[in-house]
Amino acid sequence: MSKKQKQIIALAGVFALTFGIVPKVNAMHVMEGYLPGGFCIAWGALCLPFLAAGFLSIKKTLNEHRNLITLLAMSGAFVFVISSLKIPSVTGSCSHMTGTGLGAILFGPSAVSILGLIVLLFQAILLAHGGLTTIGANTFSMAIAGPFVSYGIYVLCKKMNINKKAGVFLAATLGDLFTYCVTACQMALAHNADTTFGAALGKFLVVFAPTQVPLAIIEGILTVIIVMGLETYAKPELRAIGYIKEAK
Amino acid sequence: MIIDKLCYNSRLRYENASEKFAFAMITLFICVMSRSIAVACIVLSVTGILTVCKGGIPVSRYLHFLTVPLAFLLMSTLAIMLHIRRTPMDFFAVPIGSWYLTSSVHSFLYALQLILTALSAVSCLYFLSFTTPMPDILEVLRKLRCPKLLIELMLLIYRFIFVLLETASAIRTSQDCRLGNRDYKTALKSFGMLGSILMIRAVSRSNQLYDAMEARCYDGTIRILSENRPPKKKVIAAIILFDTALFVFSLWRRFFL
Repeated sequence: MSKKQKQIIALAGVFALTFGIVPKVNAMHVMEGYLPGGFCIAWGALCLPFLAAGFLSIKKTLNEHRNLITLLAMSGAFVFVISSLKIPSVTGSCSHMTGTGLGAILFGPSAVSILGLIVLLFQAILLAHGGLTTIGANTFSMAIAGPFVSYGIYVLCKKMNINKKAGVFLAATLGDLFTYCVTACQMALAHNADTTFGAALGKFLVVFAPTQVPLAIIEGILTVIIVMGLETYAKPELRAIGYIKEAK
Repeated sequence: MIIDKLCYNSRLRYENASEKFAFAMITLFICVMSRSIAVACIVLSVTGILTVCKGGIPVSRYLHFLTVPLAFLLMSTLAIMLHIRRTPMDFFAVPIGSWYLTSSVHSFLYALQLILTALSAVSCLYFLSFTTPMPDILEVLRKLRCPKLLIELMLLIYRFIFVLLETASAIRTSQDCRLGNRDYKTALKSFGMLGSILMIRAVSRSNQLYDAMEARCYDGTIRILSENRPPKKKVIAAIILFDTALFVFSLWRRFFL
């Protein structure tokens, strides 16, 4: 075999490994037991201020409008169900949305932090996505970092008068990509034996890119369709949800 | 939601929930903290046998669920194990151009240990979720002084998940009937429509539910009746014995071997 032939075979091998084996593509939950104990505790501690802020804001809202509790719970269940439904994907494998970008746009980031924690707990116990020891890391990447970025971009686009569709698309896609980068960082911080942090981060980013980047784009498109549908058919309902966001 | 159905049929369902919770949590903790291959193998076999033989979960189902996180495990372990260097390392090396796709014995062992630890941690989680229904877990959290508001939200969300899933599957069926998932473009559009209709339904259902709760004198707390199943001394003793032995064993593996 010439050198070039070898290269082609190696490339084909890498291709087969990334696309052939993968039976299921989920949003990137760090698996149970994958992070060492110290990291689990550290990420959990990092989430606490955000969760406390979210909890207090929800509590204040509910003290003023007690009837919002069912709406809030329904929103949490909505995020769970949206993230557990199979979405149409290009590669033919079955993949799922994160749903937190949509949640952040609809309900605001501080409510999503608490709802996200609960949804992640349910996903761990009922669907075996993610885990109990890694719930701190997952909450940080999927329920705090991603939604805050999504919401920031959404508000920024609104202020700069960018087309609403483009704003929603950017918010959902970039929020998803940010979640994926944060998760890769978390894993590289925990597992960089034999290499530097930078090299490990690069490897994690490359390995997950083929599944996560298309997923982020699909999620962006779907979020646009959902938000547009809501704007067309559900003005009063959107106003009701707005209470959760405004009442802070 | 197969896990939810299976756990209601488990033979261990009527054991005291706190016992199961404590067993799963302490074992999980020891397993994650020690990160040794021997501890992982012991935990994997013990929780596996408990869930399958004592709990009566079909073996094929259990094995199928163990493969759920496999994609994540495979991809990230490959990222940890393989390096791209200019010089080959001691385990194996595949040349790609002037670079090498290579791995060292040390990173191979590290990856093996990681896979086993992760699988055994997952088996602990499965022990809990295959034997304990969600309301029982919430009852344990209530005893652990988790904020009341959170518990109430979780209880409501748990209930609503099934309502919304049912609605979503009905919508999906009717979309399929009307060729809504004919090709990729229609599938995307259908999913978007499903999402927005689901949200509208969710809001109206939540308003109806609140009205119903008000009509039944809702005053800010949802009270549910929990069956009291007193803990058995024998089970507690067994859990303490097993976890202490496991803890001592992991310490011994860590510091004296």
